[in-house]
Amino acid sequence: MIGYVIRRLFHTVLVVFAISLLIFFSIRLTGDPVSVMLSAGEPSKEAIAQLKANLGLDKPLYVQYFIFLKGLVMFDFGESFRSGGPVIDLIMDKAGATLALAVGGILVSIVIAIPVGILSAVKRGTFVDFFGRVFSLMGISFPNFWLGIMLILIFAVNLKWLPSSGFDGPQNLILPSITLGMILSGILARLVRSSMLEVMNQQYISTAKSKGISDWAVIIKHAFRNALLPTVTFIGLQFGSLLGGAVIVEQIFSWPGIGRLIIDAINQRDYPVVQGGVIFLSIIMVFVNLVVDLSYSLIDPRIKSGGSGHA
Amino acid sequence: MVQKVLEVEKLKVGINDDGRKIAIVNGISFTLEKGETLGIVGESGCGKSMTSLSLMGLLPPGVEWLEGDIQTHDLHFKKFNKQDWRKVRGKRIAMIFQEPMSSLNPVYTIGKQIMEMILSHEHVSKQQARDRALEMLKLVGIPRPEQVLDEYPYQLSGGMRQRVMIAIALSCNPEILIADEPTTALDVTIQAQILELMKKLQEQLHMSIVLITHDLGVVAEMCNRVIVMYAGEIVEEAKVVDLFDETKHPYTKGLLASLPDIADEKEYLSSIPGIVPAPENMPSGCRFAPRCPNVHQRCMEAPPLFDVKGSKVKCWLYEHGDSEVVM
Ligand SMILES: Nc1ncnc2c1ncn2[C@@H]1O[C@H](COP(=O)(O)OP(=O)(O)OP(=O)(O)O)[C@@H](O)[C@H]1O
Ligand SMILES: [Mg+2]
Repeated sequence: MIGYVIRRLFHTVLVVFAISLLIFFSIRLTGDPVSVMLSAGEPSKEAIAQLKANLGLDKPLYVQYFIFLKGLVMFDFGESFRSGGPVIDLIMDKAGATLALAVGGILVSIVIAIPVGILSAVKRGTFVDFFGRVFSLMGISFPNFWLGIMLILIFAVNLKWLPSSGFDGPQNLILPSITLGMILSGILARLVRSSMLEVMNQQYISTAKSKGISDWAVIIKHAFRNALLPTVTFIGLQFGSLLGGAVIVEQIFSWPGIGRLIIDAINQRDYPVVQGGVIFLSIIMVFVNLVVDLSYSLIDPRIKSGGSGHA
Repeated sequence: MVQKVLEVEKLKVGINDDGRKIAIVNGISFTLEKGETLGIVGESGCGKSMTSLSLMGLLPPGVEWLEGDIQTHDLHFKKFNKQDWRKVRGKRIAMIFQEPMSSLNPVYTIGKQIMEMILSHEHVSKQQARDRALEMLKLVGIPRPEQVLDEYPYQLSGGMRQRVMIAIALSCNPEILIADEPTTALDVTIQAQILELMKKLQEQLHMSIVLITHDLGVVAEMCNRVIVMYAGEIVEEAKVVDLFDETKHPYTKGLLASLPDIADEKEYLSSIPGIVPAPENMPSGCRFAPRCPNVHQRCMEAPPLFDVKGSKVKCWLYEHGDSEVVM
């Protein structure tokens, strides 16, 4: 168990290293921060050189990368070009909002997708299944931004039930969570349905039925309990794309999270903030996957997390 | 005086495709007596499992109970709703399946799976149910039963799992046990042990067993009476001695001829030529006629079950009782 966690942490370091390379060089393809920052007026050559030196952009690229990497080892993402403050403070300031949104999105998708998927499977071939599948298809095919705007139009503008933007209380979380959760719930419902159908063909379901227990005990206790493993794996794997979706949803709902922070930083060529934000999100992602992997042994007694065997 | 514990009357089970009914089990009747083991044999696809699943009300989706009735004591299954079925399953009739490797739920402990059965039928505390589960594990001869109670199915061998299945099935002391190919998936030595166990428990608990198999050796070993099914119908019903010594139906003869005979030097297996017809295109006369070595004009018409010296045979050759036609 401990050995497994250590292996996974090592793996995490590799992933973060690869991402640091990618983000460091790709952000530098988007344009020069100095020209953005000095866009007002006609800056002198000296002023440009001075600013570059201040930001450390005068050094060769590989030197800049190593400075960045060195900071990373100490969890130091550097200072923002724009505000001069530490990037880690900016991120921590926004992290809560993004996590709240991600958790909200996952909750919404679970609350919708699991009943829909189970009912679709149990009522296979009936109109319940048909609606379930249409729902999945809609969830999958509606773009995030479209759904977000529709929800704002209906519930914020017309009905005035919920706020369309801002971050003052739990009611602000509802529309963004639904927007984010709907997409995932479409795919998740489909997965729950197919895993349930597979599980319900197993012999142990016949055994359960032959005991004279209720239909719902068979479906939930025996079938869904076994369909849980692929479901949890899937939610874990989708966490990355969920964070990606969060970036868009944060834009639509003016949600003060890391997604917006990154997008604003990209527009301003604030390299350290972009780098820090992306690395932070990827660490969260890898961490979530680790937690999911560790939870397997709780869900399925046959899996012992590749560890010593004696839990 | 023999006591009937189960009576199947003209049971017809099949697919109802928009009013077009295709029978998979075509109007079979038989009885089960207290304490006996009734064998059901026949080639793959002849409807053995469908028959046994009807007894539990567990027909797969798409397959319906079309006609007939099943009765145990005062209960008529035909009139059953979901609630009635639940009271019968496990309590009066229990079932064990062919695949011990997959018939236990992988995510629950053995103890939990036995207790579930007990708790769903009897008003006992969890501790009492657990004690009973332990007792059952001892009864079916599981070594270190205390530990096994808290183990998961993957930690047990196939033979041990089938013992656990038997423990579950018998935990509420059912009157009838249905075993659908209970040993087919097991090694020969394990097979013998499981059959031995079933025999022992049957005597101990005075239950009746319906044993489905395509292994006539198992039938000879275990059964008192045998039903031979072909294409959804009973073609022969006989005491087990009569089935082997005075085989009547040409189909049964074919099945026996395809048994490997160890005493015989030649390792020749004569199997019946042709295949079982599919339910949707059954021959209109005798269903076995297209494969029968004794087919004649009369077979264009479906024969009834003739009573012949305590046996029943669905074949025109026995129209005039035991005056067996020379073949
Ligand atoms: N779910 C189903 N829907 C429709 N037809 C089915 C279904 N399951 C089985 N059948 C048909 O019912 C017939 C009898 O099947 P059954 O399983 O009772 O055979 P069996 O005698 O138990 O064979 P085996 O020895 O292979 O277990 C077969 O022709 C099969 O095609
Ligand atoms: Mg079968």
